[in-house]
Amino acid sequence: MAIVAQHTKFSKIAWPVLAWVVALIFFFPIAYMVMTSFKTDADAVKPELLFSFTPTLDNYANMTDNYDYWRFATNSLITATFATLFTLVVSVPCAYAMAFNPTRATKDILMWMLSTKMLPAAAVLYPMIFMTKSLGLYDTKFLIVMVLSLINLPIAIWMLFTYFKDIPKDIIEAGQMDGLNTWGEVREILIPLAWGGIASTALLVFIFCWNEAYWTVRLTTTDAATLSKLIEGNRAPEGLFFGRLSAVSTAAVGPIVVLGWFCQKQLVQGLTFGAVK
Amino acid sequence: MGRIVLEKVTKKFGEVEVIPPLDLTIEDGEFAVFVGPSGCGKSTLLRLIAGLEEVTSGEVKIDDATVTEVPPSKRGLAMVFQSYALYPHMTVRKNIAFPLRMEKMPQSEIDAKVDMAAKSLNLTDYLDRKPGQLSGGQRQRVAIGRAIVRQPEAFLFDEPLSNLDAALRVGMRLEISELHQRLETTMIYVTHDQVEAMTMADKIVVLQAGVIEQVGSPLELYERPQNRFVAGFIGSPKMNLIEGEAAKKRGAQTMGMRPEHIAVSTEAGEFKGTVGVAEHLGSDTFLHVHIDGIEEHVTVRQRGNVNFKYGDTVYLTPEEANVHKFGADGLRID
Amino acid sequence: MANRTIPRLLQTPAVVLLLFWMLVPLSMTLFFSFIRYVLNNLRRPEWTSPSIENWRGFGNYQYVWNQDSFWLAIQNSILIVTSILFLTVILGVAIAVLINRSFPGLGIVRVLLISPFFVMPAVNAVLWINMILDPVLGLQGIAVNGINEIIAGLRSAPVVGGFFSLWPEFEPISFRATQTSAYAVIMMVTWQWTPFAVLIFMTSLQSEDQQQKEAATLDGAGRWNQFRFLTLPHLGRPIAIVVMIQAIFHLSLYAEIEIVSRGNGNKNLPYYIGELVNNNIGAASATGIFAVILANIVAIFLLRMVGKTLME
Repeated sequence: MAIVAQHTKFSKIAWPVLAWVVALIFFFPIAYMVMTSFKTDADAVKPELLFSFTPTLDNYANMTDNYDYWRFATNSLITATFATLFTLVVSVPCAYAMAFNPTRATKDILMWMLSTKMLPAAAVLYPMIFMTKSLGLYDTKFLIVMVLSLINLPIAIWMLFTYFKDIPKDIIEAGQMDGLNTWGEVREILIPLAWGGIASTALLVFIFCWNEAYWTVRLTTTDAATLSKLIEGNRAPEGLFFGRLSAVSTAAVGPIVVLGWFCQKQLVQGLTFGAVK
Repeated sequence: MGRIVLEKVTKKFGEVEVIPPLDLTIEDGEFAVFVGPSGCGKSTLLRLIAGLEEVTSGEVKIDDATVTEVPPSKRGLAMVFQSYALYPHMTVRKNIAFPLRMEKMPQSEIDAKVDMAAKSLNLTDYLDRKPGQLSGGQRQRVAIGRAIVRQPEAFLFDEPLSNLDAALRVGMRLEISELHQRLETTMIYVTHDQVEAMTMADKIVVLQAGVIEQVGSPLELYERPQNRFVAGFIGSPKMNLIEGEAAKKRGAQTMGMRPEHIAVSTEAGEFKGTVGVAEHLGSDTFLHVHIDGIEEHVTVRQRGNVNFKYGDTVYLTPEEANVHKFGADGLRID
Repeated sequence: MANRTIPRLLQTPAVVLLLFWMLVPLSMTLFFSFIRYVLNNLRRPEWTSPSIENWRGFGNYQYVWNQDSFWLAIQNSILIVTSILFLTVILGVAIAVLINRSFPGLGIVRVLLISPFFVMPAVNAVLWINMILDPVLGLQGIAVNGINEIIAGLRSAPVVGGFFSLWPEFEPISFRATQTSAYAVIMMVTWQWTPFAVLIFMTSLQSEDQQQKEAATLDGAGRWNQFRFLTLPHLGRPIAIVVMIQAIFHLSLYAEIEIVSRGNGNKNLPYYIGELVNNNIGAASATGIFAVILANIVAIFLLRMVGKTLME
């Protein structure tokens, strides 16, 4: 690799070709799904039409009739957006305080926060159903926003903490010498400097919220049901509707996959809590 | 005015006492340098004065007003950080203007002050650049510019030159000294480099483990170090500190002699030794001499070029009037 | 500023929210696990509301402990999580090393590889179990059918026909059955999470010291030895992190199990609890507490392993 002499002609061609083959294999299920979304339900199950078929947009046109897609998509968008905002509002100040005014307890608090992610959701399923039903919160968007925020809070705080830690403390102190108060530090220094980190945290939290499939399935019925619930409820009995199912699936994951492409680098730093950069 | 007084100031980090009770006065207009090995508490002391750290007990006074509870920005001090701590997302102009903006000064006044500061620091051409596009020395000047526009009671410098290369460091050293002559404002300067301390200071404060070892002018410290530590720390090359027979003969635990206070002969003298390395600098020659029974080599400074080489036998004799004597407690004996 | 009040104040909302989230539902689970509590019971209607009167002590725990299905669920949980971890780490390292070089289209290859990670789990499961793994209509069915047809055609061919007539007819596998649904889940989750491992290993490989490798070449280390003694140790920390994060996510797999088998296949612990919640809350809660204990064992182990490296 680093040594030029080791490059044989074979390895110069073979490894890249293999890399391409692997990448195409991994992408194939998605490609197949997108392809099928342009077939009619009847064509979708005919082996002879696997790759040659007459494309149609009917499945997308009929998405509202078949699945009421937009209602679920709107719910997903609303809950994920507000959950992301709420998560940031709570996590930015917290991570800021931890990064610039660490105490001896800070590390323990961070570890504890991470450990709440390990609490199995299923263990508290019934209390959550019970509580939310008695409070009248069951199947409300408010509840989903809160739950999504809570489960993403530890990851958001960790991500922001690692981004903030990269900002030299000197700069914050220079700001203090120049007359900034806490809010001024956040507004004038922290947000402008950590803008990229905050944005990618927001993006990642949004993706996690959009894809969440435990609480959104178990704590909703109709009013707050998200796309996860829609797909989960239409698992295609014996595959009669591959075409339309592919279309609604593509519509459900498309925006997020594209969004994910843009933040793959930040994803690494975020998901590994800054341990891999 | 900028007279800074520390009264019985202490600082603890948790259980660790980094500054035991300490008193110090820095007169108005003085250039005071805190010097000491790393971890001696000199930066902590500066941060206590700045207000970036809270004192555990004791009082900090600026012009006779107690500022112990006053936030950093209200103490009338400006600080230049080791890393410069420029705001990377702002242009040079905005960086320098920032403290004035925080004071809610009218924009026209801000512009005038920034232009003046930029002019005096040769930054006029760079005002619209961001710190990332500047060299180390230019960044340093921006940091100084940000400090001087505030017209503070005192400037605080925290190892400001340690990130610069050797050549630039000498230049910036002169610039800061000149700035002090021009502004006549109190400056407190922290460094681990005793050359900076010697060349810049009106008053040097030597610190070790949070304790002040000696306070005085550079020459006082050089000529009459109060203890072994100061003797070994101030001066380059270091003072030769010798224990054993020769010291006992003079009624001391340790005797110290500066490299320039030792006579060299090829025939006779108090110590017999062999030359290890001879460093020829042109103006001076430093001989590193190994003497039997003394663990560390003795450094001798000779004017001009002296023709000694590895393995030569030499005899060394200290100038008696310039021998420093220290007792078993490390303190100076006169 | 040296003032400690403001930083504390800023941390309070996050800490209070998480404390609430951790403690309140969990203490309710703990309470429910010690009482008789079912949602429908015509003979004993008093059991249908949570009351201290219905105290059962460790009865629920005993009941769950003696259920074969509980142990099966634990077994499945462990099987699913460890298989996925094993596969994603091996595949992840292999692919990361494979694409850790410059070649035409590297950017596109990376984008293609990472895509599965962003597919929502529900879609992932629907896609795989129907369109890919379905024994009749999925790609599996189509492929097996195709192979059988080719073989059938070859039987009548001269010379080699005799050889092919010895071949059996291939049977497609149904992944919705009890014994096989776990494999479908493992497959789809591995597909989804291998990109994650690749991404992290690849980033880590880029920070590998090239001079060290050149020195090793001069010392006579071949490609394999370089990989074995330099690259693998370098990947130790990212591997630990990948294992930890995946364990967090996969111990609570739910949607995939639900969609693949609808309760007819291999159930893991969360799914088992989900079923009990439909009626027997006491038992569900006791199982939940078992799940918490299991997760804690894993968590302590993982945090020990990874926690220190995170804090550096």
